[in-house]
Amino acid sequence: MHGANRTVRRAVLQKRAVTALLYVALVLFAVWVLFPFWFLVNNSFMTPDEALSVPPHWVPEEPTMGNYQAILAGKVAPGGAEVGLRVLTALGESFAVGILTVVVNLALGGTAAYSMSRYKYRGSRLGYLSVLFARLVPPIAIVAAFFVALRDLGLINSRYGLVIVYTSFTLPITILVLKNYFDGLPRELDEAALVDGASRLQALWYVIRPVARPGFIAAACLVFLESWGEFFYALTLTNQLTIPPVLAGFRGFFQFNWTTLAAATVLAVVPPVLLALIFQRYVVRGLAQGVAK
Amino acid sequence: MSDRTFGLVLALPAIISLVLVVGIPGVQTLVYSFQRVPLSDDPATFVGTDNYAKILGDESFVESLVVTLQYTAGYVVLSTVLGLLFALLLDQPLRGRGLARALLIIPWATPVIIAGVMWKWLIDPSVGGLNAVLFELGVLEDYKPFLADREWALVFTILAACWHQASFSALLFLASLQTLPSEIIEAAKVDGATAWQRFRGVVFPWIRPMLVVVVVINVIYGVLQFDTVWVMTQGGPGDATTLLPILLYRQLFIFSDIGAGSALAVMLGVVAVLVSSIALILLGRGDPIEA
Repeated sequence: MHGANRTVRRAVLQKRAVTALLYVALVLFAVWVLFPFWFLVNNSFMTPDEALSVPPHWVPEEPTMGNYQAILAGKVAPGGAEVGLRVLTALGESFAVGILTVVVNLALGGTAAYSMSRYKYRGSRLGYLSVLFARLVPPIAIVAAFFVALRDLGLINSRYGLVIVYTSFTLPITILVLKNYFDGLPRELDEAALVDGASRLQALWYVIRPVARPGFIAAACLVFLESWGEFFYALTLTNQLTIPPVLAGFRGFFQFNWTTLAAATVLAVVPPVLLALIFQRYVVRGLAQGVAK
Repeated sequence: MSDRTFGLVLALPAIISLVLVVGIPGVQTLVYSFQRVPLSDDPATFVGTDNYAKILGDESFVESLVVTLQYTAGYVVLSTVLGLLFALLLDQPLRGRGLARALLIIPWATPVIIAGVMWKWLIDPSVGGLNAVLFELGVLEDYKPFLADREWALVFTILAACWHQASFSALLFLASLQTLPSEIIEAAKVDGATAWQRFRGVVFPWIRPMLVVVVVINVIYGVLQFDTVWVMTQGGPGDATTLLPILLYRQLFIFSDIGAGSALAVMLGVVAVLVSSIALILLGRGDPIEA
């Protein structure tokens, strides 16, 4: 009796120790995610001088909006040289490119994915395989062809040029995510609409499109995130048109200082993070079912 | 219009687009790799395998290939293992788990280039916080300019990219773990299986197909990594972090050699396919339960 009791007590203690360890791990995980952010946000509210203090301040002693004001005023540093509204313009271009890329993707990818989910025709298998193949082509490997083509078309440093180029690596993702979603919808939905006298296009637009909203949201988020963070093409095919190359090239500006870059980086990271958090469920499902396949 | 024609018409715009923006540029790159392409509008001339010979004969290519493989190895191991650990942790019934899962998505939603900017300044000796933390903990004897050191530069360009990618891996692992029926785990517990036995016998086989997917994706992203290295070191110090994509950038946009750059691009694609095939073969072997 006494022995059994001790065994139970040991088991309870062991379980508590494991739980405690798991919570320690959880805290470490939170530090891993948040420490770089804390450092970034913290510095964005500091004067350049305070950012240089040793040891560093973990909260600003004299918090300042100067860095954000400098960006809004089109300068690279508080009181620094004018460079125009470079950061704001680039953020705007990033939004424009992202939204246009999403629209193109949903229009082209939505119809194609629906077709691949529902219709069989000669070459339909080939069409699907070509999507899978397109997904395997590394974007960085075909940049030379884009560079020459956009130069000849006069689309270097153009948002439309970027949208065309971004479609190359986002469209396969959109098609795979949406086809996967359509596959999960019962065919009776389409058939019932057709029996009721709807045309095939009407069935797609009025019946399937509303039901497939979560799939469209997932695809739209994934495409926007890909587009927002794309750096290599933006660096090579534009003159710092969108925000990623502006951040990467900040040092080249006159009178560089880190704290203003920190503020610009905060402004650049808020939209994608917010988007992912708001649509967390859709995005994660789309990621697991579409991207991982 | 027959159903067949209708289906084809629906799919055609996307297929034509993919041919235009992936197929043709892909073939064009292959063609360029056998040509000398002048910067002006003058026609390109066929030069056989000269571009390949030029790239392969260049010492920097071999050095870069070695660095790329080192980088990829570190990147794949770290982002996959960390991702698996995060996923296993966030699959436990802990208080605050919902919040932690929201946290998990943040590094993934953060663009890789921004992760690079954050980490570059985080580890900077003059403004960065990491040096101070390590100094206070007694790990460092003095503030260290990590990115000026060949080995540390490679380590930190890997770490910054993994900060983003470990979250990606974890999201996929977690999605896979959540489909594991809890009855199976409960049954194993009733049978007296230890945590490690449950992991080896039940959990690991379950997520193994996802593991293969994650590793292959990570291998490809590792071989093609450009962003963090560009923003943190631009390939330096010296050539310590000059990955193949950095070399490709230089060929195309610094030396303006489209022919040689395209040859390098083709080889980069081949390396990516080769390394991921090797990973696939290695992972395919092993557990007889899965095979």
